[in-house]
Amino acid sequence: MMKPTLILVGADKGGVGKTTVARSLLDYFARKNVLTRAFDTENPRGSLHRFYPAITEVVDLGNVAHQMRILDTMETANVPVTIVDLKAGNLSYSLDLFERIGVLEAARNGMFTLGLFHVVGPSIASLDEIGEIAKYLSGMQYVVARNSINETNFFEWDEATYRKYFSQIAKTQEINVPKLNEMAYEQVDVAGVTFKDFIDNRAADGSQGKFSFVLRGYVRKWCSEIDAEFAHVKMLQDVLSGGRQQ
Amino acid sequence: MATSPTVHIVCSDQHRNGKTLLARVLVDFLMLDGRDPFCIDTDAPDGPLRAFFPGRTALADFAAIQGQMKLFDTILASPGRDYVIDLPARHTERFFQTARDLDFFAECHKTGFRVFVFFIVDNSFTSLKTAYAMQREPGVDLFIPVRNMLVRSHWPENEGALTIPFLAAPIASAISNRRFSLREFVNGDPQGLAPDLVRELQAFLYDVLNSLNGLEPVRALGGPGQP
Repeated sequence: MMKPTLILVGADKGGVGKTTVARSLLDYFARKNVLTRAFDTENPRGSLHRFYPAITEVVDLGNVAHQMRILDTMETANVPVTIVDLKAGNLSYSLDLFERIGVLEAARNGMFTLGLFHVVGPSIASLDEIGEIAKYLSGMQYVVARNSINETNFFEWDEATYRKYFSQIAKTQEINVPKLNEMAYEQVDVAGVTFKDFIDNRAADGSQGKFSFVLRGYVRKWCSEIDAEFAHVKMLQDVLSGGRQQ
Repeated sequence: MATSPTVHIVCSDQHRNGKTLLARVLVDFLMLDGRDPFCIDTDAPDGPLRAFFPGRTALADFAAIQGQMKLFDTILASPGRDYVIDLPARHTERFFQTARDLDFFAECHKTGFRVFVFFIVDNSFTSLKTAYAMQREPGVDLFIPVRNMLVRSHWPENEGALTIPFLAAPIASAISNRRFSLREFVNGDPQGLAPDLVRELQAFLYDVLNSLNGLEPVRALGGPGQP
Protein backbone atom coordinates (compact mmCIF):
# COMPACT_ATOMS: atom_id res chain seq x y z
CA MET A 1 0.00 0.00 0.00
CA MET A 2 1.16 3.50 -0.77
CA LYS A 3 2.59 5.61 2.01
CA PRO A 4 0.26 8.42 3.11
CA THR A 5 1.17 11.89 1.96
CA LEU A 6 1.02 14.93 4.19
CA ILE A 7 1.12 18.24 2.37
CA LEU A 8 1.60 21.47 4.30
CA VAL A 9 0.64 24.72 2.65
CA GLY A 10 2.06 27.75 4.33
CA ALA A 11 3.67 31.14 4.31
CA ASP A 12 4.93 33.48 6.97
CA LYS A 13 3.47 36.39 5.14
CA GLY A 14 -0.28 36.86 4.95
CA GLY A 15 -2.29 37.49 1.81
CA VAL A 16 -0.04 35.61 -0.58
CA GLY A 17 -2.68 33.13 -1.70
CA LYS A 18 -2.00 30.27 0.69
CA THR A 19 -5.60 29.12 0.96
CA THR A 20 -5.99 29.46 -2.79
CA VAL A 21 -3.12 27.02 -3.26
CA ALA A 22 -4.63 24.63 -0.69
CA ARG A 23 -7.97 24.84 -2.49
CA SER A 24 -6.26 24.27 -5.82
CA LEU A 25 -4.61 21.14 -4.47
CA LEU A 26 -7.88 19.78 -3.09
CA ASP A 27 -9.59 20.53 -6.39
CA TYR A 28 -6.76 18.96 -8.35
CA PHE A 29 -6.98 15.72 -6.41
CA ALA A 30 -10.79 15.74 -6.66
CA ARG A 31 -10.56 16.05 -10.44
CA LYS A 32 -8.11 13.14 -10.43
CA ASN A 33 -10.40 11.06 -8.18
CA VAL A 34 -7.92 10.95 -5.30
CA LEU A 35 -9.49 11.10 -1.85
CA THR A 36 -8.22 13.87 0.39
CA ARG A 37 -8.86 15.33 3.78
CA ALA A 38 -7.87 18.75 4.98
CA PHE A 39 -7.09 20.58 8.17
CA ASP A 40 -7.52 24.30 8.44
CA THR A 41 -5.42 25.88 11.15
CA GLU A 42 -7.11 29.26 10.73
CA ASN A 43 -8.71 28.63 14.08
CA PRO A 44 -11.56 29.24 14.84
CA ARG A 45 -12.86 30.72 11.58
CA GLY A 46 -11.36 28.46 8.92
CA SER A 47 -11.48 29.92 5.43
CA LEU A 48 -10.63 26.58 3.81
CA HIS A 49 -13.45 24.94 5.76
CA ARG A 50 -15.95 27.25 4.06
CA PHE A 51 -15.17 25.76 0.67
CA TYR A 52 -14.69 22.11 1.70
CA PRO A 53 -16.89 21.63 4.77
CA ALA A 54 -17.28 17.89 4.21
CA ILE A 55 -13.57 17.06 4.27
CA THR A 56 -12.08 19.89 6.30
CA GLU A 57 -11.61 20.16 10.03
CA VAL A 58 -10.63 23.38 11.74
CA VAL A 59 -7.84 22.70 14.23
CA ASP A 60 -5.52 24.54 16.57
CA LEU A 61 -2.03 23.32 15.79
CA GLY A 62 -0.82 24.24 19.26
CA ASN A 63 -3.32 21.85 20.82
CA VAL A 64 -1.94 18.34 21.34
CA ALA A 65 -5.30 16.66 20.79
CA HIS A 66 -5.59 18.45 17.45
CA GLN A 67 -2.03 17.48 16.50
CA MET A 68 -3.06 13.88 17.14
CA ARG A 69 -6.15 14.30 14.94
CA ILE A 70 -3.91 15.19 12.03
CA LEU A 71 -0.87 13.02 12.54
CA ASP A 72 -2.01 9.89 14.33
CA THR A 73 -4.79 9.22 11.83
CA MET A 74 -2.81 9.35 8.61
CA GLU A 75 -2.56 5.56 8.36
CA THR A 76 -6.05 4.77 9.58
CA ALA A 77 -8.02 7.44 7.73
CA ASN A 78 -7.87 5.46 4.48
CA VAL A 79 -7.32 8.70 2.65
CA PRO A 80 -4.04 8.90 0.77
CA VAL A 81 -3.57 12.65 1.00
CA THR A 82 -3.83 14.99 3.98
CA ILE A 83 -3.53 18.70 3.35
CA VAL A 84 -2.87 21.15 6.15
CA ASP A 85 -3.48 24.81 5.45
CA LEU A 86 -1.20 26.59 7.90
CA LYS A 87 -2.44 29.81 9.42
CA ALA A 88 -0.89 32.96 7.97
CA GLY A 89 2.39 33.80 9.66
CA ASN A 90 2.70 30.34 11.20
CA LEU A 91 4.97 28.54 8.77
CA SER A 92 8.19 28.76 10.79
CA TYR A 93 6.30 28.08 14.01
CA SER A 94 4.61 25.00 12.54
CA LEU A 95 7.81 23.57 11.12
CA ASP A 96 9.56 24.16 14.41
CA LEU A 97 6.71 22.45 16.24
CA PHE A 98 6.78 19.47 13.85
CA GLU A 99 10.53 19.21 14.34
CA ARG A 100 10.14 19.19 18.12
CA ILE A 101 7.41 16.56 18.21
CA GLY A 102 9.21 14.29 15.75
CA VAL A 103 6.98 14.70 12.70
CA LEU A 104 9.83 15.79 10.45
CA GLU A 105 12.01 12.98 11.75
CA ALA A 106 9.29 10.43 10.99
CA ALA A 107 9.05 11.76 7.44
CA ARG A 108 12.85 11.57 7.06
CA ASN A 109 12.61 7.93 8.17
CA GLY A 110 10.11 7.28 5.39
CA MET A 111 7.00 6.67 7.47
CA PHE A 112 5.07 8.99 5.20
CA THR A 113 5.73 11.45 2.42
CA LEU A 114 5.92 15.01 3.62
CA GLY A 115 5.65 17.96 1.30
CA LEU A 116 5.59 21.67 1.79
CA PHE A 117 4.03 24.13 -0.60
CA HIS A 118 5.60 27.41 0.42
CA VAL A 119 3.56 30.19 -1.07
CA VAL A 120 5.56 33.32 -1.69
CA GLY A 121 4.44 36.69 -2.90
CA PRO A 122 6.40 39.25 -4.85
CA SER A 123 8.21 40.90 -1.98
CA ILE A 124 11.64 40.60 -0.38
CA ALA A 125 9.98 39.87 2.99
CA SER A 126 8.19 36.96 1.46
CA LEU A 127 11.33 35.66 -0.23
CA ASP A 128 13.33 35.99 2.99
CA GLU A 129 11.18 33.21 4.42
CA ILE A 130 12.86 30.74 2.09
CA GLY A 131 16.16 31.18 3.94
CA GLU A 132 14.50 31.11 7.34
CA ILE A 133 12.90 27.71 6.89
CA ALA A 134 15.79 26.05 5.03
CA LYS A 135 16.94 24.24 8.16
CA TYR A 136 13.72 22.21 8.36
CA LEU A 137 13.60 20.99 4.81
CA SER A 138 15.69 17.84 4.93
CA GLY A 139 13.60 14.80 3.96
CA MET A 140 10.78 16.96 2.76
CA GLN A 141 9.58 17.67 -0.77
CA TYR A 142 9.76 21.40 -0.96
CA VAL A 143 7.77 23.34 -3.53
CA VAL A 144 7.96 27.09 -3.83
CA ALA A 145 4.64 28.32 -5.17
CA ARG A 146 5.08 31.72 -6.68
CA ASN A 147 1.76 33.43 -6.62
CA SER A 148 1.46 35.81 -9.52
CA ILE A 149 -1.36 37.78 -7.98
CA ASN A 150 0.01 40.98 -9.40
CA GLU A 151 1.45 39.49 -12.58
CA THR A 152 4.87 40.12 -11.13
CA ASN A 153 8.08 38.54 -12.35
CA PHE A 154 9.62 37.76 -8.96
CA PHE A 155 12.81 39.71 -9.47
CA GLU A 156 13.76 37.69 -12.53
CA TRP A 157 14.89 40.99 -13.98
CA ASP A 158 17.53 41.11 -11.21
CA GLU A 159 19.50 37.89 -11.53
CA ALA A 160 21.48 38.37 -8.32
CA THR A 161 18.37 38.87 -6.19
CA TYR A 162 16.59 36.04 -7.94
CA ARG A 163 19.49 33.63 -7.45
CA LYS A 164 19.95 34.67 -3.85
CA TYR A 165 16.50 33.41 -2.95
CA PHE A 166 15.67 30.67 -5.41
CA SER A 167 19.02 28.91 -5.69
CA GLN A 168 19.92 28.52 -2.05
CA ILE A 169 17.98 25.33 -1.49
CA ALA A 170 18.87 22.17 -3.36
CA LYS A 171 16.02 20.21 -4.94
CA THR A 172 13.60 23.09 -4.78
CA GLN A 173 10.69 22.65 -7.10
CA GLU A 174 8.98 25.78 -8.27
CA ILE A 175 5.53 26.35 -9.60
CA ASN A 176 3.80 29.49 -10.70
CA VAL A 177 0.27 30.06 -9.54
CA PRO A 178 -1.24 31.91 -12.48
CA LYS A 179 -3.39 34.96 -12.04
CA LEU A 180 -7.11 34.36 -11.93
CA ASN A 181 -9.34 37.20 -13.04
CA GLU A 182 -10.39 39.12 -9.90
CA MET A 183 -14.07 39.04 -10.69
CA ALA A 184 -14.00 35.29 -11.28
CA TYR A 185 -12.08 34.79 -8.04
CA GLU A 186 -14.54 36.93 -6.09
CA GLN A 187 -17.54 35.13 -7.55
CA VAL A 188 -16.17 31.75 -6.45
CA ASP A 189 -15.48 33.27 -3.06
CA VAL A 190 -18.97 34.69 -2.74
CA ALA A 191 -20.51 31.42 -3.86
CA GLY A 192 -18.45 29.52 -1.26
CA VAL A 193 -17.99 26.56 -3.58
CA THR A 194 -15.00 24.67 -4.87
CA PHE A 195 -13.44 25.71 -8.16
CA LYS A 196 -14.68 22.44 -9.65
CA ASP A 197 -18.27 23.04 -8.56
CA PHE A 198 -18.12 26.58 -9.87
CA ILE A 199 -16.97 25.31 -13.26
CA ASP A 200 -19.73 22.70 -13.20
CA ASN A 201 -22.27 25.44 -12.25
CA ARG A 202 -23.18 23.72 -9.00
CA ALA A 203 -24.22 25.79 -5.98
CA ALA A 204 -23.02 25.09 -2.44
CA ASP A 205 -26.24 23.19 -1.64
CA GLY A 206 -25.75 20.93 -4.67
CA SER A 207 -28.46 22.60 -6.75
CA GLN A 208 -27.93 24.05 -10.23
CA GLY A 209 -25.96 27.28 -9.92
CA LYS A 210 -26.50 30.55 -11.72
CA PHE A 211 -22.86 31.38 -12.28
CA SER A 212 -21.71 33.35 -15.28
CA PHE A 213 -20.59 31.25 -18.23
CA VAL A 214 -17.75 33.70 -18.77
CA LEU A 215 -16.51 33.53 -15.19
CA ARG A 216 -16.82 29.74 -15.18
CA GLY A 217 -14.76 29.71 -18.35
CA TYR A 218 -12.08 31.86 -16.76
CA VAL A 219 -11.93 29.54 -13.75
CA ARG A 220 -11.79 26.47 -15.97
CA LYS A 221 -8.91 27.93 -17.95
CA TRP A 222 -7.11 28.88 -14.75
CA CYS A 223 -7.56 25.35 -13.36
CA SER A 224 -6.09 23.87 -16.52
CA GLU A 225 -3.10 26.18 -16.12
CA ILE A 226 -2.73 25.09 -12.49
CA ASP A 227 -2.97 21.45 -13.59
CA ALA A 228 -0.09 22.06 -15.98
CA GLU A 229 1.97 23.45 -13.09
CA PHE A 230 1.07 20.58 -10.77
CA ALA A 231 2.06 18.11 -13.48
CA HIS A 232 5.68 19.09 -12.76
CA VAL A 233 5.48 18.38 -9.03
CA LYS A 234 6.91 14.96 -8.33
CA MET A 235 5.10 14.45 -5.04
CA LEU A 236 1.72 15.03 -6.66
CA GLN A 237 2.50 12.79 -9.58
CA ASP A 238 3.65 10.07 -7.17
CA VAL A 239 0.25 10.24 -5.48
CA LEU A 240 -1.55 10.00 -8.81
CA SER A 241 0.53 7.06 -9.90
CA GLY A 242 -0.16 5.28 -6.62
CA GLY A 243 3.43 5.58 -5.49
CA ARG A 244 4.86 3.67 -8.42
CA GLN A 245 7.27 6.51 -9.20
CA GLN A 246 8.60 6.75 -5.68
CA MET B 1 -32.10 32.14 -44.01
CA ALA B 2 -31.15 30.33 -40.83
CA THR B 3 -33.87 27.96 -39.71
CA SER B 4 -32.55 27.46 -36.20
CA PRO B 5 -31.33 30.16 -33.83
CA THR B 6 -28.02 31.44 -35.03
CA VAL B 7 -25.29 33.59 -33.57
CA HIS B 8 -24.12 35.84 -36.42
CA ILE B 9 -20.72 37.37 -35.86
CA VAL B 10 -19.86 40.29 -38.12
CA CYS B 11 -16.19 41.12 -38.03
CA SER B 12 -12.98 42.01 -39.79
CA ASP B 13 -9.39 42.58 -38.87
CA GLN B 14 -9.43 46.01 -40.49
CA HIS B 15 -11.21 49.25 -39.68
CA ARG B 16 -13.88 51.13 -41.60
CA ASN B 17 -14.83 48.57 -44.18
CA GLY B 18 -18.57 48.24 -43.70
CA LYS B 19 -19.00 45.92 -40.71
CA THR B 20 -21.76 47.92 -39.10
CA LEU B 21 -23.54 48.39 -42.44
CA LEU B 22 -23.49 44.63 -42.96
CA ALA B 23 -24.63 43.99 -39.38
CA ARG B 24 -27.44 46.48 -39.89
CA VAL B 25 -28.60 44.89 -43.15
CA LEU B 26 -28.40 41.48 -41.49
CA VAL B 27 -30.59 42.56 -38.58
CA ASP B 28 -33.16 44.03 -40.95
CA PHE B 29 -33.01 40.92 -43.10
CA LEU B 30 -33.72 38.70 -40.11
CA MET B 31 -36.61 40.92 -39.04
CA LEU B 32 -38.05 40.91 -42.55
CA ASP B 33 -37.80 37.14 -42.39
CA GLY B 34 -40.04 37.19 -39.33
CA ARG B 35 -37.28 36.53 -36.84
CA ASP B 36 -36.56 38.44 -33.67
CA PRO B 37 -32.82 39.13 -33.57
CA PHE B 38 -31.04 40.71 -30.65
CA CYS B 39 -27.84 42.66 -31.28
CA ILE B 40 -24.71 43.00 -29.26
CA ASP B 41 -22.66 46.00 -30.20
CA THR B 42 -19.13 45.70 -28.85
CA ASP B 43 -18.03 49.05 -30.20
CA ALA B 44 -18.34 50.86 -26.90
CA PRO B 45 -18.80 53.64 -26.04
CA ASP B 46 -20.06 54.79 -29.48
CA GLY B 47 -22.38 51.86 -30.23
CA PRO B 48 -22.95 52.53 -33.94
CA LEU B 49 -25.24 49.49 -34.38
CA ARG B 50 -27.19 50.36 -31.27
CA ALA B 51 -28.00 53.72 -32.81
CA PHE B 52 -30.10 51.93 -35.43
CA PHE B 53 -31.71 49.34 -33.16
CA PRO B 54 -31.77 50.92 -29.70
CA GLY B 55 -34.55 48.68 -28.44
CA ARG B 56 -32.89 45.42 -29.37
CA THR B 57 -29.21 46.08 -28.82
CA ALA B 58 -26.96 45.69 -25.82
CA LEU B 59 -23.77 47.69 -25.75
CA ALA B 60 -20.91 45.59 -24.38
CA ASP B 61 -17.35 46.80 -24.05
CA PHE B 62 -15.46 43.64 -24.88
CA ALA B 63 -12.23 45.03 -23.42
CA ALA B 64 -13.73 44.60 -19.93
CA ILE B 65 -14.81 41.33 -18.35
CA GLN B 66 -18.21 42.84 -17.60
CA GLY B 67 -18.61 43.39 -21.34
CA GLN B 68 -17.61 39.80 -22.06
CA MET B 69 -20.20 38.64 -19.53
CA LYS B 70 -22.82 40.84 -21.11
CA LEU B 71 -22.08 39.31 -24.49
CA PHE B 72 -21.61 35.61 -23.76
CA ASP B 73 -23.93 35.31 -20.77
CA THR B 74 -26.75 37.20 -22.49
CA ILE B 75 -26.64 34.86 -25.47
CA LEU B 76 -26.42 31.65 -23.48
CA ALA B 77 -28.99 32.73 -20.92
CA SER B 78 -31.61 33.50 -23.58
CA PRO B 79 -31.41 30.91 -26.33
CA GLY B 80 -34.07 30.42 -28.98
CA ARG B 81 -33.55 33.66 -30.86
CA ASP B 82 -30.99 35.01 -33.32
CA TYR B 83 -28.12 37.19 -32.24
CA VAL B 84 -26.01 39.57 -34.27
CA ILE B 85 -22.65 40.53 -32.81
CA ASP B 86 -20.96 43.57 -34.29
CA LEU B 87 -17.24 43.34 -33.57
CA PRO B 88 -14.91 46.25 -34.29
CA ALA B 89 -11.49 45.29 -35.64
CA ARG B 90 -9.80 46.00 -32.32
CA HIS B 91 -11.81 43.26 -30.58
CA THR B 92 -11.85 40.60 -33.29
CA GLU B 93 -8.73 38.66 -32.33
CA ARG B 94 -9.49 38.85 -28.62
CA PHE B 95 -13.09 37.81 -29.16
CA PHE B 96 -12.11 34.61 -30.94
CA GLN B 97 -9.34 33.86 -28.43
CA THR B 98 -11.77 34.32 -25.54
CA ALA B 99 -14.41 32.24 -27.32
CA ARG B 100 -11.81 29.48 -27.66
CA ASP B 101 -10.71 29.79 -24.02
CA LEU B 102 -14.29 29.63 -22.80
CA ASP B 103 -15.41 26.98 -25.29
CA PHE B 104 -18.15 29.37 -26.29
CA PHE B 105 -19.00 27.85 -29.66
CA ALA B 106 -19.34 24.36 -28.17
CA GLU B 107 -21.66 25.81 -25.53
CA CYS B 108 -23.63 27.55 -28.31
CA HIS B 109 -24.14 24.21 -30.04
CA LYS B 110 -25.23 22.60 -26.78
CA THR B 111 -27.77 25.39 -26.34
CA GLY B 112 -29.13 24.85 -29.86
CA PHE B 113 -27.39 27.70 -31.66
CA ARG B 114 -25.50 27.66 -34.89
CA VAL B 115 -22.55 29.97 -35.38
CA PHE B 116 -22.11 31.97 -38.57
CA VAL B 117 -19.11 34.24 -39.05
CA PHE B 118 -19.21 37.07 -41.58
CA PHE B 119 -15.67 38.28 -42.16
CA ILE B 120 -15.06 41.31 -44.35
CA VAL B 121 -11.90 40.65 -46.31
CA ASP B 122 -10.23 43.96 -46.86
CA ASN B 123 -7.88 45.02 -49.60
CA SER B 124 -4.78 43.69 -47.84
CA PHE B 125 -2.88 40.40 -47.70
CA THR B 126 -3.06 40.50 -43.91
CA SER B 127 -6.82 40.48 -44.10
CA LEU B 128 -6.78 37.60 -46.58
CA LYS B 129 -4.45 35.60 -44.33
CA THR B 130 -6.66 36.27 -41.33
CA ALA B 131 -9.71 35.19 -43.32
CA TYR B 132 -8.08 31.90 -44.33
CA ALA B 133 -7.06 31.27 -40.72
CA MET B 134 -10.54 32.10 -39.46
CA GLN B 135 -12.08 29.76 -42.01
CA ARG B 136 -10.62 26.93 -39.96
CA GLU B 137 -11.93 28.25 -36.64
CA PRO B 138 -13.31 25.25 -34.74
CA GLY B 139 -17.00 25.38 -33.88
CA VAL B 140 -18.00 27.79 -36.66
CA ASP B 141 -20.85 26.29 -38.68
CA LEU B 142 -20.54 28.63 -41.61
CA PHE B 143 -17.75 31.03 -42.47
CA ILE B 144 -18.86 33.71 -44.91
CA PRO B 145 -16.13 35.79 -46.52
CA VAL B 146 -17.46 39.21 -47.47
CA ARG B 147 -16.31 41.51 -50.24
CA ASN B 148 -17.23 45.14 -49.88
CA MET B 149 -16.84 46.72 -53.29
CA LEU B 150 -16.44 50.13 -51.71
CA VAL B 151 -13.14 49.20 -50.07
CA ARG B 152 -12.31 46.34 -52.49
CA SER B 153 -11.09 42.97 -51.37
CA HIS B 154 -8.23 40.52 -51.71
CA TRP B 155 -10.60 37.58 -51.52
CA PRO B 156 -10.07 35.57 -54.76
CA GLU B 157 -12.67 36.19 -57.47
CA ASN B 158 -13.09 32.49 -58.09
CA GLU B 159 -13.97 31.72 -54.47
CA GLY B 160 -17.50 32.27 -53.24
CA ALA B 161 -18.20 35.27 -51.07
CA LEU B 162 -21.02 37.51 -50.05
CA THR B 163 -20.64 40.74 -51.97
CA ILE B 164 -21.68 44.17 -50.75
CA PRO B 165 -22.11 46.23 -53.92
CA PHE B 166 -20.72 49.72 -54.27
CA LEU B 167 -22.91 52.23 -52.55
CA ALA B 168 -22.83 55.81 -53.85
CA ALA B 169 -21.93 58.49 -51.32
CA PRO B 170 -25.33 60.27 -51.35
CA ILE B 171 -27.12 57.02 -50.49
CA ALA B 172 -24.55 56.06 -47.88
CA SER B 173 -25.03 59.47 -46.35
CA ALA B 174 -28.83 59.25 -46.43
CA ILE B 175 -29.04 55.83 -44.84
CA SER B 176 -26.46 56.69 -42.20
CA ASN B 177 -29.17 58.73 -40.50
CA ARG B 178 -30.18 56.60 -37.55
CA ARG B 179 -33.84 57.31 -38.29
CA PHE B 180 -33.57 55.70 -41.71
CA SER B 181 -34.90 52.16 -41.57
CA LEU B 182 -33.81 49.77 -44.29
CA ARG B 183 -36.66 47.49 -43.30
CA GLU B 184 -39.24 50.24 -43.80
CA PHE B 185 -37.59 51.04 -47.10
CA VAL B 186 -37.96 47.44 -48.26
CA ASN B 187 -41.58 47.60 -47.16
CA GLY B 188 -42.16 50.51 -49.51
CA ASP B 189 -41.42 53.66 -47.50
CA PRO B 190 -38.72 55.72 -49.30
CA GLN B 191 -38.37 57.95 -46.23
CA GLY B 192 -37.74 61.04 -48.33
CA LEU B 193 -35.07 59.51 -50.59
CA ALA B 194 -34.91 60.97 -54.13
CA PRO B 195 -36.38 58.64 -56.79
CA ASP B 196 -33.02 57.96 -58.52
CA LEU B 197 -31.47 57.10 -55.17
CA VAL B 198 -34.45 54.90 -54.35
CA ARG B 199 -33.74 52.79 -57.42
CA GLU B 200 -30.06 52.54 -56.55
CA LEU B 201 -30.74 51.56 -52.96
CA GLN B 202 -33.31 49.03 -54.12
CA ALA B 203 -30.69 47.44 -56.38
CA PHE B 204 -28.16 47.44 -53.55
CA LEU B 205 -30.52 45.81 -51.08
CA TYR B 206 -31.80 43.37 -53.70
CA ASP B 207 -28.25 42.07 -54.16
CA VAL B 208 -27.33 41.91 -50.47
CA LEU B 209 -30.63 40.42 -49.28
CA ASN B 210 -30.51 37.88 -52.10
CA SER B 211 -27.01 36.84 -51.03
CA LEU B 212 -28.11 36.54 -47.41
CA ASN B 213 -31.10 34.50 -48.53
CA GLY B 214 -28.75 32.13 -50.34
CA LEU B 215 -26.72 31.32 -47.26
CA GLU B 216 -29.02 28.60 -45.99
CA PRO B 217 -28.64 26.51 -49.17
CA VAL B 218 -24.88 27.17 -48.99
CA ARG B 219 -24.88 25.83 -45.47
CA ALA B 220 -26.94 22.79 -46.58
CA LEU B 221 -24.49 22.10 -49.39
CA GLY B 222 -21.51 22.23 -47.07
CA GLY B 223 -20.07 25.68 -47.51
CA PRO B 224 -16.55 26.68 -46.54
CA GLY B 225 -15.76 26.74 -42.88
CA GLN B 226 -18.14 23.98 -41.99
CA PRO B 227 -16.98 21.41 -39.51
